[in-house]
Amino acid sequence: MAVKLNQSEQVVLEILQKTGADELAADFAKTGLPTRRNEAYHYSDLKMLLGNVPALATSSKSTSASLVSIEGAYRILIVNGEVQISDEPPAGVVVSTSKGGVVEPENDIIAQLNSALTKETLNIDLQGSPETIIHIDRRYEGEASHINDGVELYILDNSNATIIETFSGSNEAHLSNSASKVILGRKAKATHIMVDLSGEKLRHLQSVQYELNESALLHSLIIHKGSKLARTQLFAKFIGENAHADFAGLILGAKEQHSDISINIEHNVANTTSSENYKSVVLDRAKAIFQGKILVAKDAQKTDAAMKHQGLMLSDDAQILVKPELEIYADDVICGHGATCGQIDEDSLFYLMSRGIEKQQAKSMLIRAFLAELFDEIKIEALKEALISVADEWLEA
Amino acid sequence: MSNMLEIKDLHVKVEDKEILKGVNLTIPKGETHAIMGRNGSGKSTLSYVMAGKEGYEITKGEILLDGENILELEPNERAVKGLFLAFQYPIEIPGVATMTFLKAAMNAQRKARGEEELLTPDFMREVKSAAKMLEIDSAMLKRALNVGFSGGEKKRAEILQMALLKPKMCVFDETDSGLDIDALKIVSQGVNALRDANRSMLIITHYQRLLNYIVPDVVHVFSNGKIVKSGDKSLALELEKHGYAQYDEST
Repeated sequence: MAVKLNQSEQVVLEILQKTGADELAADFAKTGLPTRRNEAYHYSDLKMLLGNVPALATSSKSTSASLVSIEGAYRILIVNGEVQISDEPPAGVVVSTSKGGVVEPENDIIAQLNSALTKETLNIDLQGSPETIIHIDRRYEGEASHINDGVELYILDNSNATIIETFSGSNEAHLSNSASKVILGRKAKATHIMVDLSGEKLRHLQSVQYELNESALLHSLIIHKGSKLARTQLFAKFIGENAHADFAGLILGAKEQHSDISINIEHNVANTTSSENYKSVVLDRAKAIFQGKILVAKDAQKTDAAMKHQGLMLSDDAQILVKPELEIYADDVICGHGATCGQIDEDSLFYLMSRGIEKQQAKSMLIRAFLAELFDEIKIEALKEALISVADEWLEA
Repeated sequence: MSNMLEIKDLHVKVEDKEILKGVNLTIPKGETHAIMGRNGSGKSTLSYVMAGKEGYEITKGEILLDGENILELEPNERAVKGLFLAFQYPIEIPGVATMTFLKAAMNAQRKARGEEELLTPDFMREVKSAAKMLEIDSAMLKRALNVGFSGGEKKRAEILQMALLKPKMCVFDETDSGLDIDALKIVSQGVNALRDANRSMLIITHYQRLLNYIVPDVVHVFSNGKIVKSGDKSLALELEKHGYAQYDEST
């Protein structure tokens, strides 16, 4: 039974029809955008929240400096979906582009839309151990537009790479739908960081896919700071034994922000381990959502996964919604989850103030302390500094 | 003004229960006083009220620090005016480096006095020399604030803070609790080294033991929310011998 499409959905449907994505258009006409009745979008009803869908982006130049500057990083710009490579990549880094989108849609309409509407994907192959940090600077520039972009990273066998993706641009009511796919080869190691620093009018939807082959080692960190509406959905698949991943994330929410990180971790083979460590700090009337789903397949014996979310509420009107889910089909696994939510500890605040530190500074120190664990995991000092300064700017604002 | 601290007829309630019932206490500049009383007599409440902790309703009375009523001030404002409370249970704060904290506290107080921020080398020098006096290992200073510190290390860290912040009125809330005899000696030496004519101290304890090492000028007996007797240091020995029962109110 088809639903009645609202105006935003009509626009999306027309875009799909014009693009020639007929099959998807036919599906979309039946379902529209996900609503609260869709379990994965229960707390982020996009039909209600998305609002106006602007025209598809046209190419745009960006001359402004990056919001995050990492010393010595190799930077590639993607401006309104268009890949702009200006510098010669460092040794071991092969950069190219391909037509079309990148993520495999997982029956998810947002990922499917990205896949259908992305014109060009940035492909990066990383081989060896390039010491250079790869910075993918994704920009949404110019007037409000609807932007789809994609990145595919392939960390080859035995290679080791550090990649940061930042999202920023003009403070207009853009609708961005971005995708990243990261494949880790055998014994590959990667640190992959995504930071949304977009302006406060932006609607930012993001799909991230990970594939971990045998003995791969991943550290993933997602930071939501910008955007009026931000939603990252993460799909990770363990497909090789003895792989390990640390998934981490942080929502910094203020004003009326709606910020959602939803992760889906699949342990499909035996002897893989993961940790999921997410935090949210909210003030004003902001809403943070964390949904964490871990699936352990029937043959994935000896899986060890530990998920936690910790929330810090800095105002009475802010909200944190947390939903952990474990779906376990194997019988010899260790799988746990925990969630805490609290305010700034009054005793700690009093202790700091009793030494002469002003209330606001004492609070900042305690919030930094709450976040420290996430940043301490970043072993590259320049990167860690850059991320701490992102959090510091938020604290000072 | 020759009095550092004057507490006048202080009445304090916690959740409708009166805990302090008319405390009067005057400590002249340069003197060290001790308050002794059994657990639950309201001693710790007195120290928290002095430092400005929330959750206490002051129904009557005032606290003057160097002649100025401090009851309306925030805890940090009291601290920059020279009040220091050594906590019975120093708070563990994971994620805040001890050195970062020390520097923030020293600079906050300098800022309030209109002084420049400390330069790092000067800061390091001050911390090192204070740490040496208190036999504090530099590895301890590299940890998060009070996290994983033993009881004795926590108390020494409190005295270290005191030495760096140079307060004029120091309050020690059960500083001897959880200390073995060696730690007690080190802490006492640290405190004694800081005694001078412009600094007053108030030692809150329920054992006489600490007062063997930090010898007070005046001892006060605290019972049922107020000071019921004052005398010289021999009062402490007498309390140790005969206990507090004789001071319990018959009402």
